[in-house]
Amino acid sequence: MPAKPLTDELVLETLRQVIDPEIGCNIVDLGLIYRHAFRAGKLTVTMTLTTPGCPMHDSIAEGVKNILLTLEGVTDVEVEVVWDPPWHPSMMTEVGRAMTGVQNV
Amino acid sequence: MMEALLPKSAVIEPTPGLPKTARPSATPNLAVMQAAAVRLPLCFVLTGVMALLISGGVLLAQPDLLAMYHYTPHLIAMTHLFVLGFICSIVMGAMYQLVPVTLETQLFSEKLVKFQFAAHVIGFVGMVWAFWNFNMAMVGAFGSLLTLGVGLFVCNLACTLAKVKSWKVIKFGIASALFWLSATVVAGLILTTAKCWNFISFQPLAAMHAHAHLGVVGVFVMMIVTVSYKLVPMFTLSELQSERRAWWSVAVLNLGLLGAFVAVLLQSPLKLVFALVITVGFVLYGLEIIAILRARNRRHLDWGMKYSLTAIALLIPLSILALVLSWSWLPMTAVTMQLESVYGLLGLFGLVGLAILGMLYKIVPFLVWFHSYSRHIGLAKIPALADMYSVRLQIAGYWTFLAGLAALSLATTWSHESGIRWGGGLLVLSVAIFALNLGKILAHFVRPKVEPFAKKTNSATNTLCPPNP
Repeated sequence: MPAKPLTDELVLETLRQVIDPEIGCNIVDLGLIYRHAFRAGKLTVTMTLTTPGCPMHDSIAEGVKNILLTLEGVTDVEVEVVWDPPWHPSMMTEVGRAMTGVQNV
Repeated sequence: MMEALLPKSAVIEPTPGLPKTARPSATPNLAVMQAAAVRLPLCFVLTGVMALLISGGVLLAQPDLLAMYHYTPHLIAMTHLFVLGFICSIVMGAMYQLVPVTLETQLFSEKLVKFQFAAHVIGFVGMVWAFWNFNMAMVGAFGSLLTLGVGLFVCNLACTLAKVKSWKVIKFGIASALFWLSATVVAGLILTTAKCWNFISFQPLAAMHAHAHLGVVGVFVMMIVTVSYKLVPMFTLSELQSERRAWWSVAVLNLGLLGAFVAVLLQSPLKLVFALVITVGFVLYGLEIIAILRARNRRHLDWGMKYSLTAIALLIPLSILALVLSWSWLPMTAVTMQLESVYGLLGLFGLVGLAILGMLYKIVPFLVWFHSYSRHIGLAKIPALADMYSVRLQIAGYWTFLAGLAALSLATTWSHESGIRWGGGLLVLSVAIFALNLGKILAHFVRPKVEPFAKKTNSATNTLCPPNP
């Protein structure tokens, strides 16, 4: 069976399986993924967390790496956690806002 | 090369004045490594819950303890079991976990935590036994061991604080609480030594009340105030609204407590003035919490938050009682004397107890989740924190606790023994409900619920977002 092409949708859909355990929503709909880039088997993800010092920091970053390594064609994943720009609820998708009860901001 | 951004609804609006390109984290240390290992804080928590259950059991067996004036060896022993065994154990375990997280740094030493735990447990168990038998020499001996443990705790956290350069309000508040904790144990030791050797004379009731205020207001309330400035915005998706107001609240509390300690110890009429100063600190604190909640983005408040916010609201009746009781011309009747016990009950069981239960609903699931699931994230389907316990039980525990507290306060005011037994019974029931939920959470420690992911498809859907907890 041929490998699926690595599309943006596939990457985001895959990342939706990583849940922020405190808020109870996936990191894509929370707006934590800022950007991702793929080159020569290496997937680089730039993301943030809801608050600096978030105790889930390591677990979530490791989870992103783990799940993206399950994608065919991905041989290496680099996760860069940044605090600038800081996360704000306005970065959530409509689905994320509905799921978490966040007001329209 | 494939380059992608999020869907439009989630596109980042760059902060004005900040560069558009993302900057790597300034704190590359992994936060999960910052806090103490999971087992140690859990040991403190379990010790605390056991002490709470024993305290409740004794209250049920001997309701007359609260029906009479509170200066009796058995009630002092039970107060120390509740304060040192329950509150201190949990506050210390929580601080080892929360201080590194709130200040974004690493704990200074985990080895010290182990020694402190041993000194703390042996110290408080021995002190409770010695108070029960009113053996003040043994109170001093076990109290010295407890003080050694407190010294290790204070040193460990002070060295952790020292690593943080900026003086944010949270650092100021935690440093204040550590100072008052040291002052409380030193004052306690001086009181005990003075009782054994009579080298200095204080009016014993006044000295006991001054010592109690140092501990409850200086340590526990200060910790609640400080930590909530970080945790309430974190859990409600809000922000601190006025750093200046937060600073003032902590500073005014410190000033008021210093004056109140001296005034209570010397039985000065200035007690009322300093009670007013402390009340001003609480008003500033309350205004800031209201502002944080008004600015929150998360409309739904979970029950853990409701526990903590209800505890904070108890500052209102407590402040009123404090002002009434510190009025020098208050007539001394059986009821006004009992109001002192109600004041202690509302402060310890109500404010501190309820705040701790709310905090535990955040901390314990995280500790267990981290131990059982953090290595599975991204590899398998794992529960969110709110899936680890029963919200129905949490709600039942909340209302049972409030009903018990109200009944106990009324019955204590009128020295009504069967009312005290009923109120105490409801509180114990609430704690038992909490223990049941704790068991549910700890079950994940023994048998984690890890399920394989559903097979991936090539179409982006949102069906993987779990229901709102």
